This record gives sequence, structure tokens and C-alpha cells, in this order.
Amino acid sequence: MKFQWRPTRWGLSSRIVALSLLLLLLVQAAVFSVVRISVEQSARHQVAQELQVGERVWRRLLEQNAQQLRQGASVLAADFGFRAAVSSGDIATIASALENNGARIGATITALVDTSMALRAVGETGDANDLTPVLDELVGPLSRDAQGSQVAVVDGVPHQFVMVPMKAPVLVGYVLMGFPINQKLVDDMRAISDMHLALISDGAGAKGRIVAATLPPEALQELQQRQGDVDELPDHGDVLIARSVRLDTGAAVGGVRTLLLRSLSDVVAPFRQAQVALAWITALGVVLFGIGSVFVARRVTTPLRALVAATRRLGLGQYDVPMEHMDRQDEIGGLAKAFDQMRIDIGTQQIEIRKLAYWDRLTGLPNRARFREALQQEIDSQGAVAELGRGSLAVVMLDIDRFKHVNDVLGYSFGDLLLDAVAKRLTQQDLRTGDMVARLGGDEFAVLLTQSDAASALAVAQRIAKSFELPLAFDDQTVDLSAGIGVACWPLHADDADTLLSRAEVAMYAAKSKTTGIQLYDPALDSSSAQTLSLLTELRHAIDHDELRLFLQPKIRLVDNAVVAAEALVRWQHPVRGLVPPLEFIPFAEQTGFVRQLTLWVFDRAAALCGQLRAQGLSLRLSVNLSTRDMLDVDLPARLEQILQRHDAPAESFCLEITESAIMDEPQRALATLNTLSQRGFALSIDDFGTGYSSLAYLKRLPVDELKIDKSFVMNMQEDEDDAKIVRSTIDLAHNLGLTVVAEGVENGRILEQLRDLACDEAQGYHMAKPMAADAFAHWCQRWRETQAVAV
Amino acid sequence: MRRAYRLLACVAALLACRVAAAGTVQVQVQDGAGKSLADAVVFLESREARALAKPLQGAEMAQKAKQFDPTVLVVTAGTAVSFPNRDTVRHHVYSFSPNKTFELKLYSGVPANPVVFDKTGIAVLGCNIHDAMTAWVVVVDTPYFGRSSASGAVALTQVPPGNYRLRVWHPALPVGAPATDQALVVTAADQVVSYRLPGATGP
Repeated sequence: MKFQWRPTRWGLSSRIVALSLLLLLLVQAAVFSVVRISVEQSARHQVAQELQVGERVWRRLLEQNAQQLRQGASVLAADFGFRAAVSSGDIATIASALENNGARIGATITALVDTSMALRAVGETGDANDLTPVLDELVGPLSRDAQGSQVAVVDGVPHQFVMVPMKAPVLVGYVLMGFPINQKLVDDMRAISDMHLALISDGAGAKGRIVAATLPPEALQELQQRQGDVDELPDHGDVLIARSVRLDTGAAVGGVRTLLLRSLSDVVAPFRQAQVALAWITALGVVLFGIGSVFVARRVTTPLRALVAATRRLGLGQYDVPMEHMDRQDEIGGLAKAFDQMRIDIGTQQIEIRKLAYWDRLTGLPNRARFREALQQEIDSQGAVAELGRGSLAVVMLDIDRFKHVNDVLGYSFGDLLLDAVAKRLTQQDLRTGDMVARLGGDEFAVLLTQSDAASALAVAQRIAKSFELPLAFDDQTVDLSAGIGVACWPLHADDADTLLSRAEVAMYAAKSKTTGIQLYDPALDSSSAQTLSLLTELRHAIDHDELRLFLQPKIRLVDNAVVAAEALVRWQHPVRGLVPPLEFIPFAEQTGFVRQLTLWVFDRAAALCGQLRAQGLSLRLSVNLSTRDMLDVDLPARLEQILQRHDAPAESFCLEITESAIMDEPQRALATLNTLSQRGFALSIDDFGTGYSSLAYLKRLPVDELKIDKSFVMNMQEDEDDAKIVRSTIDLAHNLGLTVVAEGVENGRILEQLRDLACDEAQGYHMAKPMAADAFAHWCQRWRETQAVAV
Repeated sequence: MRRAYRLLACVAALLACRVAAAGTVQVQVQDGAGKSLADAVVFLESREARALAKPLQGAEMAQKAKQFDPTVLVVTAGTAVSFPNRDTVRHHVYSFSPNKTFELKLYSGVPANPVVFDKTGIAVLGCNIHDAMTAWVVVVDTPYFGRSSASGAVALTQVPPGNYRLRVWHPALPVGAPATDQALVVTAADQVVSYRLPGATGP
């Protein structure tokens, strides 16, 4: 596992800082915009309120003005001379009196209205025509409210009118007086409030005429362009909010209104200062927040980096360095503590795993891995010394004979006891320091002998073999111990540990198969040597290029010497080496598993031949050998069936020969395969009978038809009385079990006669015929029949 | 003294009329709402009556407690009315009325010359010093006149039978409005006339 922590350009700490700042800025921006909006709204609201107040002030001012005018008018109306003049009934006198007395109080319009509200007279300089249009609007409200005043436009100028009753001494009429609203009044208003004013007259012909204003010139011009009809008025970057105040009675003809204008920026100015302060606070907050979040992020990321470094150490297998930051009380501390606990736990587990990985629990010995490691270390440490020609070491490998059998018969617990006993005997050998005894697996053990050459290793092997001579006794069971022992030396037989082990194993198997007990490695033993590897390639090539040949060896029925069967064998016609003997490639094929292809090849050819022979009138049973590997192949029956179908051959024409050892390696699976094959109609034969250890009880359960006595017994039965007895009893035994008996290795006529005397059923051997090419077989059969006919 | 004398003369005249079969006209004055109206001036006009009318003696419009007394004075044309000032302050009595325009400039006590009201009509009197002071002098040319009492009743006695104009005036009528005018036949028998004066409401 590759574990690498790579800090990116945007590390955790940068992200925390960036996120914090971003959030802060977002919040501040939201606050800012809300403040801005509410300032704007509140300012406008405030301006609107101020304008309302301004309107009240303005109206009040007008009212006060009217009050003064009314007082003046009242005083005038009560003046005796004036009353006398008005009572005179002479219109000219009345007009003159009105003019004269109006002038006293600054009224530009004076008129006398009788009690029925009709205009009786106007001041001398006035024009009744100017007044008549607005008279009705004025006198109605004014007569109802003696304290009121009315505004109306006369001759284009807005006037404030008051009307006072005239008594002489009873009410004889009203004196109406009009006073122009002019710049002075507007200026007065400007002086007592912060507002600008514009007095606008909407005459019939001239809408939006500005009569008086306090506005600066530009704003005034703008207002004139818009005919006084504005809600807001721009002024040098400022905005003047306007409020229109109607002064007249709302008559159809003409109209007077005052535009009150209030600067927005005057109101906003204090808020602007607060906003600037807020901006400063925000800037300061960003700096503080940045520093704070950098600090916080460091508090988090620094220990995280330490933890990353620590986990990298754990990955490298260093479990002895405690974590940092465990003293912290926060989550980081908790994480560090958890990591530290993990470090301790993994360390402990590592030791346990190592133990499991390197030690065999049953015997307490090192296992194959540990042994291999020790061997490797020894080779490495001796490597340098070996250059000087001094270093050498040996591996003694042994495999308990018949262990599987012991397990099967006496049970696994006994098998375990046996393994334990073997381990004890091995460790009791006089071993030097650095030497090691290990259980490689199953019933395989090995001893590493450091500083040992082949001779001394063989001596140790001898000692081991000797120590096995004493039988093992458990409870009331006694078991003979024996083992195949192989020895291989470094650097003599191999350059590296693995090769050395496999060489020792090869020697061990050789020892077992030859029952020599102890075997020193020899390259000739080794099927995995370079020679055999090339052999495998060649063997494949042989099948593909039709270099294999089918050979047949006939079987003679002893009763009548008739040829009843033949064993199918394979021979290799090598293009260079010529005919390769079976022993040179069959065992090898069995080791490598290639034998399955060979078996199928043989069966295929035999099936083909079967038809040909039948065509020639020869009805023979053909035997085909099955190997151990074949027995373990669950697909075998199906494959054979396919071949039979292809050649349209009956299963009954075939006998399948299986060696005892092939059956005994995996008795259960072999039995299953045999049952299947038997059910399909194949005859089954046990090959090389007598060499194995098959129990009769087991044999009885097998669905076999034939026993084939091993040729070693047959060949020697002439000289060896024991072998003769074995052959006889085997024949009897087989017959008793209802099996036919075939003897192979019949090399002369006397043996043949002997067998016939023993009532053996069939015979096979050089005496009759060596294996021959399949195409020569028919011819041989014919000759055999001819010779037999002659003999009879 | 003079007044007591005149009363006796009246009593004698009444007795004489009874002989001439003169009757009493009782007028009951109501305002627009039908309530009894006090201080209404009621008089009967006819050509015969105008011939009988003579200027009154001793008519006076006094000023007392900054008020005219009486508020409404009915006199026959040609009557000289004196304006005795019974207050300690001076008054400046004037009238701009068309039937009698005059001015008595600031004075106290009784002015030397009484004011002669020689034209029929209604003269409104005011004081230039005291605007609250108002009084009316109703100038008639008939001997048959009277002022309604608090119950709105006016009794015109010794009115010879004949065709008359019944005229009624009250200060509450619009300024400058003349007395209302209505025909009335007076018989020898006493009669009661109920008169509603629209446009005037009592106090």
C-alpha cells in the first residue's frame, strides 16, 4: 500500500481561513446592504416626516400672516371714517375709501361685499373683473370661518385673502382684503426651517409658473423645466425630496401650491458617518478574524500533520514511537489517543500475526515461512564468506511414511501425537547453535544445518533415521516410524534458499520412491531441471505434431491361448532422439499433470483402433492406463464418453487400469470416479497389484473386474518361492472375489505354464509379444493364431 | 308728571271711543318656529290713521350701563327723541340709516338738541366708542302701534273699524329689511290676530 500525504496548495488550514473570511465578509456585506437600504428608507421616511412638519409650519406661518392681516383689516373696518365712507352709498367714495384704507395695511386688493355676498365695490386701482372669477370661492369659506384665510390667484399673483365683517353698527357687509404672497414670506419660511420653498401658481394659461423660490439657480431651472411637477429634484449630487402643499381651495380656475423641498443628504449625513465607522469595524474584524482563524487552523492542522507522519511510521512498521499531542483535552487529543491505542493494538497484533505466520502451533516448531527466512538469512550471512570457499550449509528434509494412512486408520489426534513425537525426536538431535528444526507442513519436516557439508549432513540424516527406528507407542498402539529423507547442500546444489528447498524436496521424494531411506540430491532426480522443462515443451509439441504412437501389447487367455485383449501404451517417436522410452517421459508427465492429455490421447486412439480391429474381425478388449491425476479429474468420465461417441465405440470394449497407489492417494474421490466409470460400462482393473498397501476390505468395495499382478512377482516366481506363493494366493483371492486375474511380465514359457497351472486367467509379457505399433497388431494376431493352430 | 297726564287723556279717549264703537286688536306675534316673539314692533297703517298720527312728546333713547334703553323705540314721524347719557363714560351715538343719519359726538349728560326722526323707517343706532351698543328707532306714521310683551302679545286699542295694513318688524329681521305688510280689516268688535313672522327668531 502506498501511503503518501501530499499537502495541496489549498491545505485544510487555508480552506478554514478562507471559508471563515468568506463567511464574515458575506455577513458584513449583508449587514452593509441592509443598513444601506434601511438608512435610505429611514432617511426618506424622516425627510417625509420633516416635510409634513414643514407643511404644518408653513401653514402656521401663513395662518399667522393671515391673523395679522385680519387684525389690520378688522381695525380698518371699525374705523368710523371708513364706516362713514362705506355707509355713504357713493360707490366712488366707497372705492376710494377702500383703496386708501387697504393701502394702509399693505392690501393690494380691497373690496366691499354686501351681506348677500355680492361685490359692491372694489378699491379704486383694482379691477372687479380680476376678482369676480375667484369671488365665490373666497367669500363662501371666509364668511363661514371668520378666522380663516383663503389663497387665490388674482391677475397671476397668488394672494392671501381675509374678510372681516363691517358693522354700522349692525352687519352691513364685509371688507375683503387680499395680500400678495411673495418672496419675503418664502424667505421667512426658509429662515425658520431647513427647507427650500417654491411657490407655484398654476394659472389657466401658465401652468407651473414659479412665483417665488429659495432654490439655488440650477434646481430652480430644473423645476421650471418640469413645470413644478416633481417628487424629487436633483441638486449637485444631492436629492431634494418634494412635498406639494396646496394653498388654494382647489378651484377649477388656477391654483396655488407650495413645493417644500428637503435635502436628503443633510439627513443621511450622520448615517454616512456611522456607515464609515461600520466599514472600519468590518476591516478590523476581517484582520482579527483572519488572524484568529489562522491560529485555530494551525491548532488543528499541526497535530493532523503530526498524526499523518505518525501513521506513515505505522505503515512502515514502526510501532514503538508514541503519538504526539495526546495531552490535549480536545477532539485532536482524543484522536491522538485513539491513534496511539491503535498503534499499540496493531503492534500487539503484529507480534501475534508474526507468531502465527512463523510458528507451527501443533509442534511449536518454526513453520515453512520461518524456516525459509532463516535459511535465507543464513545464506545471506554466509554469502560473503562463501567467496572464500569455506561457507556451506545443508538442508535435511524428511516426510513421514504412511502418515496419511496412520491418520485414516488411527485418527487425526493420533496423527497429531505422531507429528509431535517426530518433532521431539528431531529437536533431540545434537544440533549446533543456528541450526533449526521446522515443520514445513503436513508430515514434512526440515532441519537446517549451518556450517555443514554434504558428508556431515548425511551423518545427521543417518542419526535421524536411526532415531526413528524405535517405534512410537501411544496408549496401547505401537507405530513404526520411518521417513524419506532428502539432503541438499548450499552452495553445492543450489544458489538460493528456494532452489535449495526444492532440491532437498526432490531428494526426499526420490528417497521415498526408491525406499532408500536417505538420498542426497542429484540433478538426475530432478524433474524440474532445465532438461525436463524442455521435455514438457517437446511433449506438447509431440501431441500437436503427431509424434506420439499408439502401441499395443496383447493379453493371452490361458485356457485357449487366444488373444482376448491388449494393453494400449504410448510411445514417442522423437524426430531427433528417435523412439523415447516410456520411463523417460511418463513419470515426468505424471508429475506435471500432462499425463491427463496423454491418457486422453491414448484413449482416443484406442477407441479409433477398436473400430478398425472390429472391422478386421478382431473383437478385443483394450486396456488403457489411468494415472493418479486422472482419478482426481471429475471431468474424466464425461471426456471419455465424448471420445466413445466420436468413434462410435462401446464402453464395454475398454478396460481402465488403475494402479493401487493411484487409488490409495485419495481413496474417497477414487472410489467415486471408479463408480461412475463402472456405471458407464467400463471394465476396471487394478494395475501393479501387490505393490501397494490396499486393504482387502477396501478392495472389496471397489467396482473392479480384474486384478493385474505386478510383474515383479511374476518375473521372480520361478526362482522365489515366496513370490510364487504371493502369485498363487493373489489368484485365489481374486477368484474368490469374483475377479479375473491378469499376470504381466511373463517372460518365458515356463512361467506361462506355471500360471496356467495356477488357473490364472490371462497373461501378458515379452514371451508372447513386446508392445508393438498398432498397425502391426492385426498382422501379429493373425500370425499368433497360425502358430497356435500349428502347435495344437 | 307729564306722563301721568297723558295716561289720563288716554283713558278719556278710550272711554270716548267706546262710544264711537272702536275695537281692540290683539296681535299675538310668533317667530318662524311658532314661538312667542317678544320685542316685535306691530303697527296698523291706513290713510285715516296717518292723518291721526302726531309727533310723540318726551321720547327718549337713554344710554345706561353701556346699553341703549330701550333697545327698540317706536315713535311717530316728527318725534324728537332725546339721548340722555346716564353713564359716567361718554358715548358717540350715530346712525348711518337712510331715514335718519345723524351723529352725536362724544358727550355726557343730555345733549342740548334732541334728534327729530321725521321720516318713517328704521334707524339703526350705534356707539362709535362701544361697538356692542345697538338700538333701533322705528318711525311710523300711525297712532296704532305697540311692542310685543314677553308672551308675544300686543294689544292695539281704540282702533276704529276699517281697512288697515298690519305691519310687523323685529330686530332679528335682516339688516335693512322693512316691516312686513299684510291687510287687516278691523271691525267694531275686539279681535285677536295671530301673526307668524318668518325670518326672525326670538332670543
